Amino acid sequence: MREYFLRRLLQSVLVLFLVSLVTFALIHSAPGGPVRIYLTPGLSQEAAKVQAHNLGLDQPIPIQYVRWLGDLLQGNFGYTFKNHIPVGKILWPTVGNTLILMGVAWFLSLVIAIPWGIYNSTREYGLSDQSAAVISYLGFAMPTFWFGILLQELFSLKLNWLPLSDMYTMGQARNILNLLPHLVLPVTVLTLGFLAAYVKYSRSSMLEVLFQDYIRTARAKGMPERRVVFRHALRNALIPIITVLGLDLPILVGGAALTESVFNWPGMGRLFVEMAMAREYSVLMAITLLTAVIVILGNLLADILYAVVDPRVQLAGRGGRAA
Amino acid sequence: MSGIPIGESPLSGNSLPGGNPGPEPAPRVMSLGGMAWRRFLRNPFAVAGLVVLLFFVIVALFARFIAPFDPARIDLLTSNLPFGSGAHILGTDELGRDIFSRLLYSSQVSLLVGFSVAFVSVFIGTLIGAVSGYFGGFVDTFFMRMVDVLNSVPLLFLNILMLAIFGSSFVLLICILALTSWMGVARLVRGTFLQLRETEYVEAAKALGTSDWRIITYHMIRNATAPIIVNATLMIGGAILSEAALSFLGLGIQPPQTSWGQMLSNAQAYMLTDPLQAVYPGLCILVVVLAVNFIGDGIQSAIDPRRKVRRPRRRWGH
Repeated sequence: MREYFLRRLLQSVLVLFLVSLVTFALIHSAPGGPVRIYLTPGLSQEAAKVQAHNLGLDQPIPIQYVRWLGDLLQGNFGYTFKNHIPVGKILWPTVGNTLILMGVAWFLSLVIAIPWGIYNSTREYGLSDQSAAVISYLGFAMPTFWFGILLQELFSLKLNWLPLSDMYTMGQARNILNLLPHLVLPVTVLTLGFLAAYVKYSRSSMLEVLFQDYIRTARAKGMPERRVVFRHALRNALIPIITVLGLDLPILVGGAALTESVFNWPGMGRLFVEMAMAREYSVLMAITLLTAVIVILGNLLADILYAVVDPRVQLAGRGGRAA
Repeated sequence: MSGIPIGESPLSGNSLPGGNPGPEPAPRVMSLGGMAWRRFLRNPFAVAGLVVLLFFVIVALFARFIAPFDPARIDLLTSNLPFGSGAHILGTDELGRDIFSRLLYSSQVSLLVGFSVAFVSVFIGTLIGAVSGYFGGFVDTFFMRMVDVLNSVPLLFLNILMLAIFGSSFVLLICILALTSWMGVARLVRGTFLQLRETEYVEAAKALGTSDWRIITYHMIRNATAPIIVNATLMIGGAILSEAALSFLGLGIQPPQTSWGQMLSNAQAYMLTDPLQAVYPGLCILVVVLAVNFIGDGIQSAIDPRRKVRRPRRRWGH
């Protein structure tokens, strides 16, 4: 276990290092490069030169990289080009807003999808199974932002039931009663997307298990069906789902860019889009790195969890390369 | 390939049961591809998908002749016309551009992006996967870490970032999408190659002194074509959705070129006055992507019938 953990940890650190390298390379290939990100705008050429020297921007690139990495580790993401605001000041508030939105949608979709998938696996090709298949097909083929716009047109503009966009109604107290109606539409959009994948996945994961020998043995013993499904099958079927949840983290962290843009939700995804339009590279870099850190940590956690729940994983990894 | 009946060779079977007098027709020989094609045709969803996709391809090819108006022609006198306004069948947008014509021309963009991105990224993915799986060692580690890096950043962010840095043009958009979507194919091909590497026929080819390049491109790729084709098909849909998303955000296709995603972002601004404007482009995207996905699933079950046959269907429950 310890060996497996250490190996995965080292791998994660390596990938994180590589991500930072790529990000740094991208900054340097951006028009204007890092100078544009770090220098106070509107300086004369001589003053800019002095400031570049003070910031170490005239030093060899490897040294710059190490210094940049050191800055990042101390939480200094640089400044915006316009108005010279520290990036952290813009970034951190949006992280929480995104977490609220994604957390609710993700939780909701899991709570619906896993029991639904289990039910469908016990009644293959039944009505419920077929409707789940339709939802999956729609969820995979429908542009999420289009679905969002349609919901806005129907529920906000035509029926006037729910707010059109934003996180809170302006001029009202920012409490949960204000937040909830604003959450409904974006959460619906996101939940449909997650649901499409998770129902399908939990169903096939269950089916995989339900036809194994030990399940037949359990049935042959005369065990009640309910107990077979929930006690014996479900436990093993849930294991691969952990990996899928880990793999979905990038979507969870960043995939809301579209939904947030449609509903004007002040989250990280919308910030990213806005800053891309404004060519604020420092903010873009910060968000890219931040999401990478979250994703890599999440995958590490999922893998370790997986190894704890299913000891076969560690053994497979030990005997050379696992295909 | 057990379970797939291979057609009888014309040389082996010389008498058919209940043989008719006269010259016997040669027993029907069917290639694996031919059998897969027949299975594909028996799948109504797949055929429907194919018909719909062909329809859109024809529309895209002949958009110039079908479209009643120039999609970029601005006419402020006839702006914001509703559905069914004379010659403007679907009305006009805020600049007086004919929505129907714009829809037609947008299909060109979507299909072109979809097909080229799928083609390029499958090419890259196959190459990288094949090389990694075949040689293993450092090459493999290098490429797999590259996959890890690309998978640890949300791809939409990465696309937006690259478009923001390098600017957006049609070709660049295709390149950026292709460069960030080859990982699935690479993993898949690598996995297949890791298994194939140990097989006897590859050993034999090596023993005969066949070059690595020829073993990869001639002997091994053939055994990975089926999943690659399925993946490529599904990737077309993914690329169309990505293009629509990026154009919707204002970073993809730029005016005067038009795309469904761009039309949607336009329509969102006029939701209140003309809610139907947002319906058409999204519907087009949905239908095309659904069609492509149906085709992909159809190919999947046609070339791998073992999956279709599945376990015996049985009812149980309480």
